[in-house]
Amino acid sequence: MRPPGCMLALVLCSLLAGAARADSLSTLQARGKLIWGADAEGGGPYVYPDPQNPRRMIGFEADLAERLAGELGVQAQFFQGPWQNLPALLDAGQVDIVLNGYELTPSRAGRMEHTRPYYVYQLVLLARRDDARLGTWDDLRTVQPGRPKLKIGVLEGSGAHAYLNAHYAEQVEIIAYEGTTDAMREVETGKLAATLADLPAAVFYRDRFAALRQIGEHVGRGYYVIFVRSGDVALRDALNRALEKLLAMGELETIYQTYGLWNEAQRELPALGGRDDAELGIRATELRGWAVIRSRGRLLLEAAGMTICLAVVSMPLAMVLGLLVALGRMYGPAPLRWLLVAYIEILRGTPLMLQLFVIFFLLPEIGLAIPAFYAAIVGLAINYSAYEAEIYRAGLQAVPRGQMEAALALGMSPALALRRIVIPQAMRIVVPPVTNDFIAMFKDTSVCSVITVMELTKQYSVQRNDTGATLELAALTALLYLLMSIPLARLATILERRLARRPQH
Amino acid sequence: MAPDTDHTPTLAVRDLGKNFSGQDVLCGITLSVKRGEVCVVMGPSGGGKTMFLRCLNGLEEFQSGEIALAGVTLRADAPPDERKKQLRVVRRRVGMVFQQFNLFPHRTVLGNVIEAPMHVLGTPREQAVAEARQLLARVGLEDKLRHTPDMLSGGQQQRVAIARALAMKPEMMLFDEPTSALDPRMAAEVEAVVADLASAGQTMIVVTHSLRLARRAAHTLHVFEGGRVLESGPPQQIFESPRHEATRRFLDEAGGK
Repeated sequence: MRPPGCMLALVLCSLLAGAARADSLSTLQARGKLIWGADAEGGGPYVYPDPQNPRRMIGFEADLAERLAGELGVQAQFFQGPWQNLPALLDAGQVDIVLNGYELTPSRAGRMEHTRPYYVYQLVLLARRDDARLGTWDDLRTVQPGRPKLKIGVLEGSGAHAYLNAHYAEQVEIIAYEGTTDAMREVETGKLAATLADLPAAVFYRDRFAALRQIGEHVGRGYYVIFVRSGDVALRDALNRALEKLLAMGELETIYQTYGLWNEAQRELPALGGRDDAELGIRATELRGWAVIRSRGRLLLEAAGMTICLAVVSMPLAMVLGLLVALGRMYGPAPLRWLLVAYIEILRGTPLMLQLFVIFFLLPEIGLAIPAFYAAIVGLAINYSAYEAEIYRAGLQAVPRGQMEAALALGMSPALALRRIVIPQAMRIVVPPVTNDFIAMFKDTSVCSVITVMELTKQYSVQRNDTGATLELAALTALLYLLMSIPLARLATILERRLARRPQH
Repeated sequence: MAPDTDHTPTLAVRDLGKNFSGQDVLCGITLSVKRGEVCVVMGPSGGGKTMFLRCLNGLEEFQSGEIALAGVTLRADAPPDERKKQLRVVRRRVGMVFQQFNLFPHRTVLGNVIEAPMHVLGTPREQAVAEARQLLARVGLEDKLRHTPDMLSGGQQQRVAIARALAMKPEMMLFDEPTSALDPRMAAEVEAVVADLASAGQTMIVVTHSLRLARRAAHTLHVFEGGRVLESGPPQQIFESPRHEATRRFLDEAGGK
């Protein structure tokens, strides 16, 4: 085999590795542990830290995992993963099953095996008690002319997300969050008009978010199922048998009662056992290869536009702010200098993600609600201003002292000398490092996904989780990033050369 | 050669003292310069010549004495605000040429010369450019308007620096070792320009090691040593019969170079 062929074979092998591990039932029984993937950040009542012992996980799915493991004759072991990425963890062999309020959807059914439903979920629309705009579901449909669309929060990639996309995409602005309670908090602070949550979460957090009330009826009945790797039929069947048994023994009801989740809808559960996907109202779809690129490429392209927008707006702000900070730090009065040193050190010393969180989630608590896009711009600009300030300081210090002296000797004020003589020379010195930061910022924009901005990395993650086509989408995403940053680097080189060459009169 | 008619001092320095990290670099300098007078300051390195010059336009602070020029009196103990105001006046009326030229590298030759008239005095661009052309012609560089400083030789750069200072129409010019960074041929170019200015009646103080320049242009020669004025007088007199042994020694060394 020629070397390229070898490479191809290697890649294929690693891609097929998931399928090769098909019989994980015997593997996990030999190991003595059922590793179940879930996200404790998603919170109650699914899986969350025990208030008495925060190291221990409780929740109805934790209880369920324990019973299921018992039926398989092994121990249950919780594996923490980001909710949206649990299928990827499954593919990678990090977990045996995904058990975390995962709704049965066509694309999920297409890429993984799933068990029978273990819970019938419904969706609840939650709004503030004192918000008169929303009384019924119909109020979502009536778009007031001239008024902005109502903002409705959902858990990204959840059944609620799909439901709103399917039924209200035109009428409302859908904002996707990474945690269930994030959206509820945002409704409370008034940034969102409402959130569409799964019934279990709405029930569980009823007390914490007492300012919220349910609008209209439950909607969007669907099913939580357990996902296992594609082709992992043995484990699926074993789990199905275990679920049937727990259901028949009434243990499932006991667990749900414990968490206040038992309701009329669950009476449907026993009848759902033998049904195939079509009977559950699902037609499994699998998207791979060019089909993925064709159907999702446009979404990625739009998200790339958002990425460009974030960087192109934030960087000039960061540069201006950074220059002011550098000047203040070098030439300002002592108290200002100390303040700016603190500013720089705090911003450089804490993660960008944390700063974005503070701006987006904490400022609304003191009545300062900023839309996600602007919060992202502000966060990036402020964070980068600290780095730019230090670059400018180095640039200003690199201009020989004689330049300032010559300018002063000509009668210029220190401010004029800085503006006309010193800063322009410093600017030329800092072009390469600032360009470097500009390219770095292009990639740092991906952090903005934590505050619901749908930029390229976020869209990639959403589409990958929806389709499972990691390779195709990752390649396209990487290509898009390169297409953005290479012209940028080129532009900077040209700028550098022109600045170095062209004198000003 | 005698200074021009006007005998009111343009500059009067009284008892100027400066110390720098505990060491006295100027101790009680007293001297005056009349309008049209060309005053050359010489002396061994470290004698305080450059420091003296830099005190005159406020690039250095001083601790005692006072400097009266351009209608204001700089005092060591002036409050910062007053000092700032006075320096603004002084620096507009006193031009300075540095040893290292200090041209603005991001501006053309023309840009260097029109910078201060336009942005300090508010001269309209056309007028500033016309005056700059004349000044650059005067220093022999009328064909280099669009060049950048890095395209010029050291001597050419220093001549641009002189034109740049002259563009502010200063009452007095300060030259801080204008030829020290230049080879002999380029130094001669610059000396010719300085001598030309001197004969045109420009009041100036020139710190230099060049005996040739002192002989050619100076009305008065001051010899500095150890932060003091060792002796002052017409250059001819000092060259021929120095009163101090230190002056003789310095002149021998400078002449032998």
